[in-house]
Amino acid sequence: MSESEHSASHGYKGYWMIWVVLLVATVTMIFIGESKMSTAPQVVLLLLGSSIKSALIIFFYMHLRFERMGLIMTVLVGIFVTSLLMFMIPAYDAGHFLENSLYK
Amino acid sequence: MTDTGAAGVMERPWKGPFDVPWQKLMMWIFIITDALLFAGLLVGYGVMRSATEVWPDQNIAFNMNYITLMTFTLITSSVTMACAVAAAFAGNKRHVTLFLWLTILGGLTFLGMQVYEWSHFIHAGARLTSNIWGVPQFSACFFIITGFHGMHVTSGVIVLLTVAIRSAMGKSSAQGVENAGLYWHFVDLVWVFVFTLFYLV
Repeated sequence: MSESEHSASHGYKGYWMIWVVLLVATVTMIFIGESKMSTAPQVVLLLLGSSIKSALIIFFYMHLRFERMGLIMTVLVGIFVTSLLMFMIPAYDAGHFLENSLYK
Repeated sequence: MTDTGAAGVMERPWKGPFDVPWQKLMMWIFIITDALLFAGLLVGYGVMRSATEVWPDQNIAFNMNYITLMTFTLITSSVTMACAVAAAFAGNKRHVTLFLWLTILGGLTFLGMQVYEWSHFIHAGARLTSNIWGVPQFSACFFIITGFHGMHVTSGVIVLLTVAIRSAMGKSSAQGVENAGLYWHFVDLVWVFVFTLFYLV
């Protein structure tokens, strides 16, 4: 089935359903952000929420789920793995925070 | 070029490893590189914040209800953009124009809200190198990251205006609308992480 046929058959309903999920996820994340939980689980939950929201946008709104695996892997590996590596290396230098705050 | 296979059946022409039109591939490559730009900014912010002993409470520095409304506006503009793309592929020109203009309205509303937020922040004493909370990195990160994002939203609105006008004139293809949509969704995607890392964490 071509992309246009996909779009025509699904109409707009699916997009609005994703919109509702995104709004609910956003509100949930705001509650998590304002909760009194400790930093480490809070950061993990918020990053998990962001990842879920971004995955919904990439796969459903940007239609990446209809693309070939080569493009999917290029996008996901290109962005997320590089970002992770970019964070891990300099974060090591900021280790005093990790030692003093995050794991307390 | 179309080849005929050994069985005499017409085979699908080879379109490269990604099997997408070149304009769409170029847009994806641009999005990847632009995402790495924002990743660099957010990583820099994360490391800077990790290395700073104190950081201002966002609930005090910002009006979170207002920021939430900004987020809802951008997410809503993303769904109208997705509908515009679906309408373009379905050949419904009236809906394409309608949803494109709704998306532009959402983008302009977001920009207006961001201008108000910036002016409020500046009136509160925030500058690029100093602020009333005594953590210069805080306002520096705020202005640079949200400024970069705002510039992208501005570019997106200009692109969408161009596509909307061309679409109304019958000159824009469904692929053109989709490429503009990819960029707009990317702008929304970046805001997801800016909102989380800067306003919530």
